[in-house]
Amino acid sequence: MANHSDASEENQKRKTATSDPREKATYAVPVAKGLINTLKHILRNEPNTIHYPDEKRTPYPGYRGEHRLKRDELGREKCVACFMCSTACPAHCIEIVAEEAPWDDREKRPRLFNIDMMRCIYCGMCEEACPCDAIELTPVFNIPARTRAEKIYDKDKLLSL
Amino acid sequence: MADQQTNDDTVAMTRWQLNGQEVESPTGMTIMEAAKEHGIEIPCFCYHPGLSIAGNCRICMVESNRSRKPVISCSEKIAEGLEIETESELAVSSRNSVMEFQLINHPLDCPVCDKAGECTLQDHSYKHGPDRSRFVEDKNIRHTKELGPSISIWGNRCIVCTRCIRFCDEISGTSELCIVERGDRSVVDVFPEIPIDNQLAGNTVDICPVGALISHDFKYEARVWNMDRKDSVCGGCSRGCNVEVETLDGFVKRLMPRENLEVNDWWMCDEGRYGWRHLYADDRLSQATRDGAALADVSATAALEQLLCESGPVAFLIDPYLTCEEMHLVQGLAASRPGSSVGGWLPEDGNAANFPSGFTISAAKYPNRAGAELIFGDQVFGDDAKELQKSLVSSDFTTVVAFCGGHLSSGPGESWAKSLSSTPTSIIFSVKNGPWLEGASLVLPATAPIEKDGTWINEDGRLQRTRSCWSPGTEPFSVELVRLQTLQNALGIRGRSLSAAGIFRELAATHDSFAGHNHSDLGSPGLLLSQRPAGIAMDGGSE
Ligand code: SF4
Ligand code: SF4
Ligand code: SF4
Ligand code: SF4
Ligand code: FES
Repeated sequence: MANHSDASEENQKRKTATSDPREKATYAVPVAKGLINTLKHILRNEPNTIHYPDEKRTPYPGYRGEHRLKRDELGREKCVACFMCSTACPAHCIEIVAEEAPWDDREKRPRLFNIDMMRCIYCGMCEEACPCDAIELTPVFNIPARTRAEKIYDKDKLLSL
Repeated sequence: MADQQTNDDTVAMTRWQLNGQEVESPTGMTIMEAAKEHGIEIPCFCYHPGLSIAGNCRICMVESNRSRKPVISCSEKIAEGLEIETESELAVSSRNSVMEFQLINHPLDCPVCDKAGECTLQDHSYKHGPDRSRFVEDKNIRHTKELGPSISIWGNRCIVCTRCIRFCDEISGTSELCIVERGDRSVVDVFPEIPIDNQLAGNTVDICPVGALISHDFKYEARVWNMDRKDSVCGGCSRGCNVEVETLDGFVKRLMPRENLEVNDWWMCDEGRYGWRHLYADDRLSQATRDGAALADVSATAALEQLLCESGPVAFLIDPYLTCEEMHLVQGLAASRPGSSVGGWLPEDGNAANFPSGFTISAAKYPNRAGAELIFGDQVFGDDAKELQKSLVSSDFTTVVAFCGGHLSSGPGESWAKSLSSTPTSIIFSVKNGPWLEGASLVLPATAPIEKDGTWINEDGRLQRTRSCWSPGTEPFSVELVRLQTLQNALGIRGRSLSAAGIFRELAATHDSFAGHNHSDLGSPGLLLSQRPAGIAMDGGSE
């Protein structure tokens, strides 16, 4: 009880403090400073935005955009369908179905490899987990689509990127 | 473990020391087993409780006061005054060195190895192995080949523990496997022209501690950590082997035996193991039909209600795949329609088999004959069935409700099919499409054994709990347990629908043979019907 009344007294005090006209006046200085800054930029006329999509920005190295699946020297997919990426993926957006590889040097390859780009959070864990360096996040960031279905990338699409 | 009667007070005890603590264990136990009882798990590869001791992998070495060198705890027995250290410098360094040796020739296959995730070598390597290899020479290559119609070996992964070989020698008694070559080139193989092809072969894959033996059935099907597991019972024969059904996204991928020393030890037969494929065969039924026209699931239940509400006495034809709970519901229905009668059909007997280890496969290829005979009386598959067939042929009944379960059976025979189709209103619950559905008024899709939730009684009279491989709410159609209860509600003989455990409680309250039992007391090994769980209130216990 005692505490409660203390608190409301405190509030009361604070209210009177902010309604003090002298307090209010102190805002004027920073606001004015800010406006001057804005004015300076207007006069300098150097835009910080770019005219996308006419102009495109080069992403910084390490930018995590759309995925692709890599191919080896013989043009075969590097992926061995080990499910490490789908296991590591926090968004559970990678769907893999394995099949026997037709080549001698490996056992498995993916029959189906789908990434739901709408669900992906572009964290890069899949790339990190892959033991075969088969999946990577490219710097491609312009990724709009008209339907959700278009944003589920299958193996062929991922290999062609 | 298997053969030790640890709970028996008369067993002679031996005092020994484990990691500096004075402990007591039954005389004659090995150090590994005794330590396990005291909560200390010693790593092992070649030891398996169901097989003879080979003592060849050496990962289980511990320090002993009776020996200058470390001893292998899987074969060394405890003795009065023995002092064992499992975590001393000597024990730890022996273990780690063995682990390093195991790994020098082992391929880095884990990403593509089907055992990864349940691999003993992975587990031990994680706990006891070095984080990098000092081995710079070339790893040697051993054969990858088919050993039989259902099993292949990846020789590079084999750690030559001989578990598979001992299994074929001691459990199946077929001795197909052997070790060829010597030293680090030794690997498991079959004799020329004699593939491994016995009824228990699949077990070698389970007990292989690594991914050397791989079953073709599961190869590349799923990663083990992605699967859901349900403790269930195999409905392939009256033995009722305890199994674990593993599913991926609701589809069965693999059946594995579950330890039950009273029924199947650690094993199961291949027929049951690979039989799940029939669940997804082309002749599997999942669509209800009324006079040949497809029907939505709810309408099917409504049609069932309508047909039964209008009917007079009903003939019920049951099968030995139904759980005790489903049978109880059928009995309730029969009792509510005066003049009804119940009979059952039995699938044809298959081949029985006995193995040197005592493992048996029953000729009766269905799980719950004993349950049916307890609930409906001894003659349900005998005189009652004959009687029923006679009255169906002479058209005494206008309505018949038949259960044609079993995804592995070939369904009720021709004579039953004939008598079903000659009845004006025939309602058939069926797992598969088949000639017995000819002319049926209402066909309802039914659950196969591992899709059922309930209890079965095996040929020894052991009451065992089986669980559906479907998660609740994802069933592709209403299961019989639900449909029959909805029907009972509509007929006014039931107030509300219950779970399998609830139905079982009703059954236990009405049938003397089940009195005192309930689901929660069955535990994982099940109970003989004659063994009453102590101190159970008849209606007590929760599911
Ligand atoms: S970037 Fe992250 S969220 Fe997207 S697929 Fe890879 S692991 Fe999953
Ligand atoms: S982690 Fe790499 S190799 Fe493994 S499934 Fe994913 S992309 Fe393929
Ligand atoms: S046997 Fe075990 S350790 Fe060896 S590759 Fe397979 S999972 Fe990895
Ligand atoms: S195949 Fe498996 S069970 Fe057989 S010896 Fe090799 S590692 Fe042991
Ligand atoms: S487990 Fe003891 S030697 Fe293999």
